[in-house]
Amino acid sequence: MTSSPTQQRVVLVTGGSRGLGEGIVQSYLDSGDLVATCARTSTDRVESWSSAPETADRFLFVPADLASVEDAERLVGAVVEKWGRVDVLINNAGVARDGVLPLFSDDDIDTVVDLNIKGMLYVTRLVSRRMLTRRQGSIVNISSIVGRSGYRGLAAYSASKAALDGLTRALSRELGSRGITVNGIAPGYLKTDMSHGLDEAQLGQIVRRTPAGRLGEPADIARACQFLTDPANSYLTGQIIVIDGGLTS
Amino acid sequence: MSTSATDVEQTVIGFLTTIEKLPEAFGPSTSLYAGGAGLDSLETAELSAILEDTHGADPYSAGEMPQTLAEIQAYYAANSA
Repeated sequence: MTSSPTQQRVVLVTGGSRGLGEGIVQSYLDSGDLVATCARTSTDRVESWSSAPETADRFLFVPADLASVEDAERLVGAVVEKWGRVDVLINNAGVARDGVLPLFSDDDIDTVVDLNIKGMLYVTRLVSRRMLTRRQGSIVNISSIVGRSGYRGLAAYSASKAALDGLTRALSRELGSRGITVNGIAPGYLKTDMSHGLDEAQLGQIVRRTPAGRLGEPADIARACQFLTDPANSYLTGQIIVIDGGLTS
Repeated sequence: MSTSATDVEQTVIGFLTTIEKLPEAFGPSTSLYAGGAGLDSLETAELSAILEDTHGADPYSAGEMPQTLAEIQAYYAANSA
């Protein structure tokens, strides 16, 4: 159970226009927070949040490609200019390129590394500076079970997600003394666009091997984000929670 | 706040006071690190962020590593044209 925050938090969710990120943005809007997100392009959902009376004044969308440090600076700058701070950062933006590594192109490697690792570091650096001056904040890094177990055809993506877990552990040590928690969530296979690289046979096999008997939903992950960023859970840091229906248990 | 030497000094002294690391005889040439104020790396990051918040930029983010208040003031003097 999560406690009710006494004031609206400023939440930045990267890559929140669709899929898992969309579910996380919706969760924080539902809990009454001020929510910013970014993506390279807008979506119908983003337009809806931007115009709906119940969310328009609590939602900010910034078009940005976080592989660019300039875009990362523009994103964080826009959030701070609008709301003055960032209380919660959810590092969700990511891209997958499937294919066996021996056949991977330079471009595919750069695409995965530039967004999943470098982009995440750019944003986290900027936000953690803001959190340091206020001596509070919560960061959640969305990695993946493939960062732990690997998956054929997802070598670069798996490597990038393992890097994210490393960041979670290191940054929790760096920032813990300043009241900033850093945790990770390693989701299993979700019903999102990101799973579209897997064919029906692969998804069916995953479901059969999953004790929960289903693929995950974005809401399964969003609930864990809420728990990890609940101010009452300040003693919980440096951990990576696997949410995969028991697949890797 | 401006980037005048006086305002920058106020920011630095305010920060050192807050973290209880203001040396008794602190001055422009006192080391901010070992042998002076004794800032560690995380405290230096905090100072960097506070300088940026207060004065719009900071020497650390520009790749410099000032050792004293005077060197911080010199950064703003050189970049305030």
